[in-house]
Amino acid sequence: MTRRRIVGTSIVLGLLALGVLALTSLLDSDATDRPPTLDAVGATAPSNAFAQADGPRPFAFPEDHGPHPDYRSEWWYLTGNLQTPNGRAFGYQLTLFRQALVGPDQRPDRRSDWATDQLYMGHFALSDIANRRFHDAERFARSAANVAGAQTGPVEVWLEDWAIEWTPEGNIQARASQAGLDLDLTLAPQKPLVFQGKNGLSQKGPETGNASYYYSYTRLAAEGTLRLNGQEFKLTGTSWLDREFGTSFLSEDQVGWDWFALQLSNGTELMLYRLRKSDGTRSRFSSGTFVDANGGAQHLDAEDFRLESTEHWTSPRSGATYPVAWTISVPDLGVELTIEPKMRDQELSGAFVYWEGAVRASGRTNGESVSGEGYLEMTGYAGSLQGRF
Amino acid sequence: MMRETRALGRAAWRHLVRHPWQGAMMIIGVALGVAVVVAIDVANTSASRAFELSTQAVAGRATHAIRGGPDGLDDDLYARLKRAGVVRRAAPVVTQYVRSPQLGDRPFQLLGIDPFADAPFRDYVAPSDGLAVDDLSAFLTQPGAVLLSRPVAERYGLTPGDAFTLAIGGYEREATLVGVLNPRDDLRRRAMSGLILADIATAQELTGQAETLDRIDLILPKDAKAQASRIRELLPAGARLDPVGARTGAVEQMTAAFQTNLTALSLLALVVGVFLIYNTMTFAVVQRRALFGTLRALGATRQQVFQIVLLEAGMIGLVSTVLGVGLGIVLGRGAVDLVTRTINDLYFTLTVQDMPLPVGSLVKGGVLGIGATLIAAAAPAAEAAATSPRSALSRAGLESKTHRVTAWSAWGGLAGVASGLATLAWPTDDLTVSFLGTSLVIVGAAMTTPWLTARLMNGAGRLLGGRWRPIGRLAPREVRGSLSRTSIAVAALVVAVSVTIGVGLMITSFRTTVVDWLDTSLGGDVYVWAPSFGGTGSAATLDPEIVDRVRTLDEAERVDALRRVTVDSPHGPIQLDAVENPADGAEHSYLWTTGPVEEIWEQVRKGEAVIASEPLARRVGLSKNENALTLFTDEGQETFKVVGVYYDYESSRGAVTMWHETYRQLWNDPSWTALSVKLQTNADADRVTRELQAELTSIQSVQVRANRELRAEALAVFDQTFVITGALQLLAVVVAFIGVLSALLSLQLEKIRQFGILRALGFTAREIWGLITLETGLIGASAGLLAMPTGLGLALILVYVINRRAFGWTLLFQPDVGTLVNGLLISISAALLAGLYPAYRMRRTLTAHALRNE
Repeated sequence: MTRRRIVGTSIVLGLLALGVLALTSLLDSDATDRPPTLDAVGATAPSNAFAQADGPRPFAFPEDHGPHPDYRSEWWYLTGNLQTPNGRAFGYQLTLFRQALVGPDQRPDRRSDWATDQLYMGHFALSDIANRRFHDAERFARSAANVAGAQTGPVEVWLEDWAIEWTPEGNIQARASQAGLDLDLTLAPQKPLVFQGKNGLSQKGPETGNASYYYSYTRLAAEGTLRLNGQEFKLTGTSWLDREFGTSFLSEDQVGWDWFALQLSNGTELMLYRLRKSDGTRSRFSSGTFVDANGGAQHLDAEDFRLESTEHWTSPRSGATYPVAWTISVPDLGVELTIEPKMRDQELSGAFVYWEGAVRASGRTNGESVSGEGYLEMTGYAGSLQGRF
Repeated sequence: MMRETRALGRAAWRHLVRHPWQGAMMIIGVALGVAVVVAIDVANTSASRAFELSTQAVAGRATHAIRGGPDGLDDDLYARLKRAGVVRRAAPVVTQYVRSPQLGDRPFQLLGIDPFADAPFRDYVAPSDGLAVDDLSAFLTQPGAVLLSRPVAERYGLTPGDAFTLAIGGYEREATLVGVLNPRDDLRRRAMSGLILADIATAQELTGQAETLDRIDLILPKDAKAQASRIRELLPAGARLDPVGARTGAVEQMTAAFQTNLTALSLLALVVGVFLIYNTMTFAVVQRRALFGTLRALGATRQQVFQIVLLEAGMIGLVSTVLGVGLGIVLGRGAVDLVTRTINDLYFTLTVQDMPLPVGSLVKGGVLGIGATLIAAAAPAAEAAATSPRSALSRAGLESKTHRVTAWSAWGGLAGVASGLATLAWPTDDLTVSFLGTSLVIVGAAMTTPWLTARLMNGAGRLLGGRWRPIGRLAPREVRGSLSRTSIAVAALVVAVSVTIGVGLMITSFRTTVVDWLDTSLGGDVYVWAPSFGGTGSAATLDPEIVDRVRTLDEAERVDALRRVTVDSPHGPIQLDAVENPADGAEHSYLWTTGPVEEIWEQVRKGEAVIASEPLARRVGLSKNENALTLFTDEGQETFKVVGVYYDYESSRGAVTMWHETYRQLWNDPSWTALSVKLQTNADADRVTRELQAELTSIQSVQVRANRELRAEALAVFDQTFVITGALQLLAVVVAFIGVLSALLSLQLEKIRQFGILRALGFTAREIWGLITLETGLIGASAGLLAMPTGLGLALILVYVINRRAFGWTLLFQPDVGTLVNGLLISISAALLAGLYPAYRMRRTLTAHALRNE
């Protein structure tokens, strides 16, 4: 999926900020008008140093829930809408990204437990809808010495005390905490896995290998607890997990994307994304998937859907203006939806600034009225990403 | 009023211009005093700030640190803490002192960090907007990849991509410069001037500690008791969580004693300088009593006379302070090197060099110089202002007054000595108090000198008068008669010479003690050890192959290994020696033991007890009754019974010796630090040393030394430590010398008229010359004689009070006659030299000329 792939690539970006990372004070605000300060040698490993997503893959589970270190990028991406028994709503995002620095053949023989060529980035966000408060955090860690990593048998992905793991029953356990915020969820799949693209091979560009392996759990029943500033909440709700790994998917002329993952009241799910090119048009690689109530998936091409923004919000922090409300139409499926944010400020301000937040949907499918919830992600509004990649 | 004062000021200025040598002497004296104070203060301040920066560059903004034993922390502890979520801001650290021939072969600190955890702790460069991911990729994935600050890389001509060698604990490792960091500001530039930055994995590989961390830095909020205890619950037995300040504090405290000693010595130079000012100003006042009398008779107020003298002093003070500060800066450069080297030898490695000139030191010097001058001049100024117009014109009045004063001064001096001794008897570890007591004793002793000089001159008159008429009788009488002008100079000389004697005797005693100690403690013939950095306690270890090789040496009668590490205790870091030499117990000399040496050593070998060094015993307060010593081991906190305290001059932080098996049980550390080889009787130690050195180098670049060489090296370090003390001592003498020179010179020149009369009375030029020489010789001799007991007393204070309190060392006092005689010779030759010029001038002055002054 394009959105995740670019976010994945944003690991690189995050690292960039990180490279400055250790070597710098993050407290300094006037970073931009300083001259470059680190000169170094070394080369980014070229794409062909890694394994490529260049053909059909016989997926095997639970192994494929685990890491694929020979591919450059990979992520475990959870989003969801939750509420307390008396209806207080929350949205959350917990994402763990893996990024390899060098290809499998370039890994030097190292003795230290801390030596690694695999890095992890984590994003954790909570939307406290009732209080209009958005909490977000970002972490980076090496996949070494147990600090961060991923494994199969049992499948576990973690970055310090943020973790996503598969239980023997096939459920997913998600945990994260940050400064007065603890989230602990058990996620039970309500539908089988959905393989995106062609049997899980999601083509991203015209060239062979410019693709990723991609599958999702589009409807997970969530249950768990949230501790927020000393207060504890029991929560239930719905979640969505995206899994994707690959090596190259970056398009030269992309400036950003708008991505929707919606779970509708009639038991269906709709995922759509629109890639914005630098000339303002949408890329033909924009696409989507419709999942019916029985779990059957239908691929949608760029021509199959229309997106219109209806309302904008400007971030007081980044100054970026985001189209936070939309109308969606998928004529062949008879889908007409209005999308509104549950709150406007759901902008993450880590190394990489983007909007990702809880939304509600309402409208009709085939003439019947439906409602729904989901997540919307919008990138490339806080300055073009292009120059930074 | 203003105008009158200005007129008087001009008179003061004219006096100075007309007596240029007098002004010049004063200026040199004060300038030297100020220079020494400035130089030492510059050196101390620079060393302290270099220490702060060295530690700060490494500790960063950490508030706490988790440390383990000598073998470090198990490196999965970090992930355990992180995954338990008990601490958010934590950073693993691996650090080691290294050298590189390509980096000037000076100590650098290799600092291994995790870039992903380190940002809140240490900031090394300005944020960048052009950093490519490649740099980080190379830094993380390339073996041996390191970063240097740009100034360091440029200084040694390294550019990214260059490889260089690092010498780490006797091994050579290859490092590659993968990038340079631009320090954001001058402070960071200095902090980074001793730093080699590497990824934590790279640092582990370079230092050969692939599974351990040196520490985990933490930033905990101010009131984090609950959090700290949650963290402690997760720590293994050998790991401890401590605030950062406590540890650096303990290290800083160790150098504090050394620095206080230097400061005390530098202040002494200034005290001598103040004596000199006082003396010269008094002299200038005495000389012009007639002038002041006249001025007073003409209607000048007391206040104006007071001002004129003070103004004169102020001008001198200003000029000499400016000169002194300038000279201090020059001397300071050298002193910084000496102080830094000593600190590196004895305490810890300073990786930060080239400190900026501390402005505070210069200001301090300036204030001291001008302030001291004015204070020293206040008494003579008051004296000048207080005399009535009539009595001022009579010289005899002054001299008789002086005699009354000398008696009072002698009583005052005795009181000073008594109170000084009382202060010293006060049981405290505060060095400032001890030095105050010492100063009181010295100044008190100096105050008795005028009275004693007078008594001595009476004796000299009787002794010489009979044999060498008339000069033999005349000279002592002249000296006694001119005490108003000479007594202060003599007192200054006594102070300087007694300090020379005192410090000299202390150093001699110290050296003798160290030599004796080396003789008893160096029982082996050949020593092998892994190179480390001076007193830093960095736990360099011998390659096991080296240990095996040396143990199977044909010429060896026996080989004993030693493990020397720094362990933590509630009293700060302590040196621990784990020994396997069954005779080690007998190779110590003991301050006290709880029983016969064989018995206590048997207890040590059974693991029931340990023995401690004297400085440690003093620091911790160990005695036969209070003999529990607590150390942090890998198994947790352990308390040991101390059954003996031995003399040790190696570590001023203190050392504890235990049987190696005890150590291995409590610490998870199989390594050895050094080997001592006892050769068979007919073996040639030098040859074995040479062959071993050649053979072992291929395994690890260890140091191999024959007993004799090691002794010489130890003494060289010792002598090195006292270079700066010697230099200061010499400077104090120079200042005193100038004081005496100036006093005698003015005295003799003033007496030109008197000599003219003597010539007219039939004295030959030769006799006049003899008279002058005898006079000055007598002054020198009496100063020297009086300095002897004072110096001896000072030496006793330094040996038995100051050294014990500052370092915890007992020294064997050596009343070395050579040092005493030396002091006497210095003072006599100073005085004789001072008499040369007047004598030379007198011989050439015609009677008529001399009398024309009438």
